Amino acid sequence: MLRALSKSHAAAVRILAPRAAVLVETVRGRKSRFDPKAKSKADRIKVPSYSNAKDMFRLNVRFSEYQLLVRAIRFMFTEKRKKRKYEEEKGTLAEERVRKEKEEHRALMAWNDAENLKQRIIREERLKKITEAKELKLREEVLLHQKEQEIYIKEKEMLILQLQEEVKNFITQQNLDERIEEALNNPKSYNYAIDKTGQITKRTAFQ
Amino acid sequence: MPRYDMFLVLKSMQRPETAATLRRIVENLFEHGAMVRSMENLGERRLPYAISKHGSRHKHGGYFAIDFYSSPTILKNVLDNLERDIDVLRPTIVKNNTERPPKQCHGVHEKDPWKIN
Repeated sequence: MLRALSKSHAAAVRILAPRAAVLVETVRGRKSRFDPKAKSKADRIKVPSYSNAKDMFRLNVRFSEYQLLVRAIRFMFTEKRKKRKYEEEKGTLAEERVRKEKEEHRALMAWNDAENLKQRIIREERLKKITEAKELKLREEVLLHQKEQEIYIKEKEMLILQLQEEVKNFITQQNLDERIEEALNNPKSYNYAIDKTGQITKRTAFQ
Repeated sequence: MPRYDMFLVLKSMQRPETAATLRRIVENLFEHGAMVRSMENLGERRLPYAISKHGSRHKHGGYFAIDFYSSPTILKNVLDNLERDIDVLRPTIVKNNTERPPKQCHGVHEKDPWKIN
């Protein structure tokens, strides 16, 4: 039977690819046609397999019945499965589910938006307070700076006025001689003595 | 302009010569663009130690102080001229800081430079 099978195979291949250069022989085993029989198989008597027409007939009938049943059951199951799958994806329950999910999603999004709004209000309040505080501080600082500037300018003006007064006493080319005479006439001494009680004596021994 | 004090030790001379020296010095200052505020005579006295200058040794000298305002760039020139003047034994020019108010003492604990206020 195997040989027959193999032969038919070879024939089929030839039909399929008549022009193929290489013929693919689907032969099982290592022996070729002309190899001698193996020693272990020398006593082998080829006995045809059991066959009885009555039995065969009965078997065939029963087998076909069996196959019918099994097929019916299989188809029943597959139908059930497919139906269930269809129900899941496109049936009424599925619609319900989808609708519910959408509803839930919408509700959650709405809640989220509400929360965001709340937080936003709080945040804006906070930021407003901070900016107001900053502005206030800035304004105060500016005022302070201005005041300091004014004080500084006043001080400097005072100094300028003082200097203007003192300029009248400066030495110039005209009063140079007079001033020299005056200086030579009036020797000044910055020496003084002080004792432990804090009494200052300006008259000292002058060399 | 910053304010400077010039302290001079002049050779002990007769009055007209001292006057002439002082006049010369002040005119030199005027030439360099200074404003002379005042001049003081601190007396003719014995020097604390003998000063040898311009080839002679002196034991007495006249002390004078001149207060002036000027640009700091002229000081080098003025000092050079004074050094060369044979009547001047010891010229000194020093900055006068009396117009600046003294810094407030914050005590031992210094202000943290990284702290605001």
